[in-house]
Amino acid sequence: MAEQAIWSGTISFSLVAIPVRLVKAVEPGRVSFRMLHSKDYSPLQRRMFCPEEDKMVPPDEIIRGYEIAPEKYILITDEELESVSPERSRTIEIVEFIDMKEVDSIYYDHPYYLVPLKGGEKAYRLLVEAMRRTNKAGLAKFVLGEREYLVAVKSTEGALALITLHYSEEILPDKDIAPKEEKVEAEEKSRIKKSIKKMITDFNPEKYADGRRKKIMDLLKKKAKEKVPVEAPEVEEEEGEGPADLIAALQESMRKVKKNR
Amino acid sequence: MSRKVVEIAGKRLSLSNLEKDLYPSYGFTKAHVLEYYRRISKFILPHLRDRALTLKRYPEGVEKDFFFEKRCPRHHPSWVKTAEVGRDEGEQMTVCLVNDLETLMWVENLASLELHVPLARAGSTETPDSMVFDLDPGDQANILNCVRVALILRDLLSNLRLTSYVKTSGKKGLHVYVPLNREKTTFEDTKKFSKAVARTVQKNYPELVTAKMSKEFRKAKVFINWSQNDSSKTMICVYSLRAREKPVVSFPLEWKELENLAGQDDPEKLQVMHSEAVSRAGKQGDLFREVLVKKQKLPHL
Repeated sequence: MAEQAIWSGTISFSLVAIPVRLVKAVEPGRVSFRMLHSKDYSPLQRRMFCPEEDKMVPPDEIIRGYEIAPEKYILITDEELESVSPERSRTIEIVEFIDMKEVDSIYYDHPYYLVPLKGGEKAYRLLVEAMRRTNKAGLAKFVLGEREYLVAVKSTEGALALITLHYSEEILPDKDIAPKEEKVEAEEKSRIKKSIKKMITDFNPEKYADGRRKKIMDLLKKKAKEKVPVEAPEVEEEEGEGPADLIAALQESMRKVKKNR
Repeated sequence: MSRKVVEIAGKRLSLSNLEKDLYPSYGFTKAHVLEYYRRISKFILPHLRDRALTLKRYPEGVEKDFFFEKRCPRHHPSWVKTAEVGRDEGEQMTVCLVNDLETLMWVENLASLELHVPLARAGSTETPDSMVFDLDPGDQANILNCVRVALILRDLLSNLRLTSYVKTSGKKGLHVYVPLNREKTTFEDTKKFSKAVARTVQKNYPELVTAKMSKEFRKAKVFINWSQNDSSKTMICVYSLRAREKPVVSFPLEWKELENLAGQDDPEKLQVMHSEAVSRAGKQGDLFREVLVKKQKLPHL
C-alpha cells in the first residue's frame, strides 16, 4: 500500500494549483522496547499519579495548567485551546521564492515529501524542473495538526520535498558561543586549512549506519533463534463468584428458566 | 480517480474513488456503501451519537488489508465534531464523534466499512449506558447455538426484571444488550454483574456454554464474553456493515423471531443483508431505540 498520507490538498502559486498529498520522508530507526513486569511479563501501563493524594488520577479529573511561577498555574480548557487553533490548510500557497542556500540548516525542522495526485503529474513535473533549474525554493505558511508552520518547498531528485522550518524566535542566540578574536599566526591558519583539505570528500551517507541499532537488531535476532520468547499471562478472570445476593438471585432465576423449558 | 463534491447541510465534502469495488466477490462499490449508510443514517446516527468512533478502514476492499484508527484522522474537515478522551496510559486522544449525516459520509469516504463504538459516551467514559453479552461461537458451533444461549439469557435476566435486546453481530455471533441509562452504574458494576451471569449460565449449561476465553475451551461451545463491559472496549455499532464477503449488517432482531429461528438449521438465515436492513428498518422502525433510553438498575449489587 502507498505511504499513508498525512495531509492532502493543493500546492499553489500565482495561477498554478497542483493536487498533492503529504507523506513522511524519514522514519527514525529507533528500536523501542515494551516495559514488562519482571514477575509475570505483563506489559506495563503508564498512569497519571497524584503525589499529594498518593493515588492514580482518572482521565476525567485531568486538566491543563500553564506554569507561570513555581506552583502557580493558569488553567486552560480544551475549548479555549481550540478557539486559538488555526483552521486547517487546504492549500500550500507559495508566497515567495528564495535561494535555499540562504537558509541556515539550523532552521530545518522536519522533512516530508509531496506526492502528486491524479491529474497533477504534469504541473508537478514542471514545477520540480523549474525549481531545480533556478535553484529556488518556495516559502509558504501551512497548518498541520493544529500548528501553523513556515515551510520550504524544494526540489530533490525529481520530487518535491517539504521542510517545516523553525520560526526565528525558536532559534537560540549564539552570540556568546564564538570566542573573542585573537591574533593567530599565518602558519597555524594554513596548517588547519591543509588538514581539512586532505580530508575533503563527497557526502556519501550510505557509508555510515546506526551501529547501535544494527547491533541491537542482530542481538534480538540471535536471541529469538536461541530462546522461546516469554509470554504475557492471559488476562484470566480471578475465581471470585461475585456478590452473594446476586449469585443467589441468579440461581433462583435459573431454576425457573430450566423449569419452563 | 473519480471525485465528486457533494454538499450536505451546507458542508462541502469531496467523495473519491466511488467506483472502487469494496466487496469484490459480491460487487458492492464505495458508492453502494455510501448509499447504504445514507439510507440507514436515520437509524444508525442516534447509536453513534457522542461516542468515540473507532474506524476500521478497508481502503482496498474487504479482501485486502485493513487498519483500525482510534484517533480522529488529522486531516478531518473542520466541521467534524471531535472529543478528547483519556487512554489507559493517561494521555488524551482526539476522537471523532459521528453526530450527523455529513460526518457519517466523510467517515465512509475513508472506507471505514465497520463502525465500532464504546458502550459509554465520550463525555462520561466510565458510565456505560448498557451492559452487553457478546456471544461468540467456537469453531464447531454457529449462530444457532448462540440463539439458544441468547434466549436463556433473556429469560434469566427477565426474572430479575431486566429487559434485554438482541442483534446479530453480522459475523458469527449475537449481541445481547441490557439498557441501563443511569449515571450511577459504572463499568465495574456491569463487569461484576455480567460475569456472574455468564458463570451461572455456563454452570447450568456446560455442554453449550463456556465462560473461558481460550480457544481450546470453545470449540463446539458458545463463549459468553462479558469482558466487553469495559471502558477501553468497543462493540460493532447496530446497523453497521461488516467486512465479510457480502455486505452483511449487524441488525436488531425481535425475540419472537429468534424463537422461531431456534429450530431452524440454516445459520445464514439469521444474517441481514444491506438492502434487507434498509427495508426492514423502514418498516419496523428502530428495534434498538429502547437501548438508548430505557432506564434499568442492576439488582443485588
